[in-house]
Amino acid sequence: MAKFKMQIYQKLVKDSGGATKENLFSLLGKVQDKFGCIPPEVVHDLAAKTGVAEARIYGALTSYGHFKVKLEA
Amino acid sequence: MKEKKVLTGRVGKYKPLDLKAYKALGGLQGLKRALDIGPESVIEEIKKSGLTGRGGAGFPTALKWASAAPKKQQPKYFICNADEGELGTFKDKVLLDGDPWAVLEGIVIAAYAIGAEQAYIYIKGEYEKTAKLWDKLADEAKKARILGEGILGSRFSVSLHIVRGRGPYIAGEEFALIASLEARRPMSRLKPPYPTEEGLFGKPTVVNNVETIANVPVILANGAEKYRKLGVKDDPGTRLFSLSADVKKPGVYELEIGSGTLEELINELGQGTRNGRPIKAVQPGGGTSAFLGRDSLGCKLTAKAISEAGSSIGTAGVIVYEEGKNAVEIVKGLLKFYGAESCGRCSPCRIGVVRMKEIVDTLSRGEATSDDLTQLREIGKASVAASTCGMGQAFPLPVLSALELFPEDFETVVQKTPSGTGG
Repeated sequence: MAKFKMQIYQKLVKDSGGATKENLFSLLGKVQDKFGCIPPEVVHDLAAKTGVAEARIYGALTSYGHFKVKLEA
Repeated sequence: MKEKKVLTGRVGKYKPLDLKAYKALGGLQGLKRALDIGPESVIEEIKKSGLTGRGGAGFPTALKWASAAPKKQQPKYFICNADEGELGTFKDKVLLDGDPWAVLEGIVIAAYAIGAEQAYIYIKGEYEKTAKLWDKLADEAKKARILGEGILGSRFSVSLHIVRGRGPYIAGEEFALIASLEARRPMSRLKPPYPTEEGLFGKPTVVNNVETIANVPVILANGAEKYRKLGVKDDPGTRLFSLSADVKKPGVYELEIGSGTLEELINELGQGTRNGRPIKAVQPGGGTSAFLGRDSLGCKLTAKAISEAGSSIGTAGVIVYEEGKNAVEIVKGLLKFYGAESCGRCSPCRIGVVRMKEIVDTLSRGEATSDDLTQLREIGKASVAASTCGMGQAFPLPVLSALELFPEDFETVVQKTPSGTGG
């Protein structure tokens, strides 16, 4: 698992052909797989890119057992 | 009793990414024929075959396709539901790992039949290796023009998105799966409108189970008439039974529908119960199906016969419990799982499952009264009657049937005098 870096995340988005409502779920999955969690910066950025409210993204991702909002100790 | 390997015949016979080997074993014939005869005829052929959904509800596949196909707007979506979360069910994994090309071929045919240019496969989160295999498979398929633009030189194009689920059981439910793909909380909703009217991103969508889809190339390649010779008249084909719990040889067995009984499956293919004790109960259709007692073991393995016996074939996940297991402890385990997985949309399920679990917990501690048993029944019936999706309608069934079949297990732990009234 990689330590979170904004550049790595941005590359992930680029490789996925940008962030849209359509690929938001699989993008969240990729971020989770890469960093072991989905950091607040990512949620903030994805909300801006997709037009989905930050609160909605949090609401969704915290309802999935395999998504983490912070690294587990 | 013998297995009839129609869908699983190629499993283990080729390396999963080896397209040449798949072709050599008769692969891609279904897709070629589909592209020759055109989408309407494909749906007609599936209709003639009498194929029904293998994901639990048993809805006729051709009907679903026929209601999405005439809609002209794009995008339309086809989704292959590979989020098999039902307890005691692991048949789809065998196909996804063992004969992935056949599933992929089925997906392309289905997308072609309904005119969808976007297809998804939603793979259960725990199947991480399977998802990785499918990522590679999609790349191979693009090279071979089985995915992408101009499938096998035709004018049809389709792209496949491989999405991995992220945990919830309910995401295997049609609408919850769609919500999940839209990056929303996985929750069911009222029908109609059905997904074929308003599905993924509000567009016409068809959702099919992996096993259903694996049948499609077989039907196209050999023709519907030959397919109909398998199984029984109103329930043709084969089914994959996942046999688990108290049997000597658990596993996935493919049987011609109606070719044997529940007892033969357990005693011949499963080689009997684990400790040699008599069978106490069986759940024939996964964790949400009602228990069948010893009297029903002679029941034929068809959807109709099992439902007449008082349960349902569901996902064909056959869970066997031998004598010596206590019904209270079994339902306690089931309710613990379903209690954690209710999506929360319908209150009879959201609150009911928690209350039912609390009652069963008090039963298990020996602190319950006969009033509690009445309540357990009432809450269960309320959830069956008033929930939107299959989970809320079905999770109380094992509890209700256990109360009928094994009253002694419940009544011996009930206190004779009401407790908690003395202050």
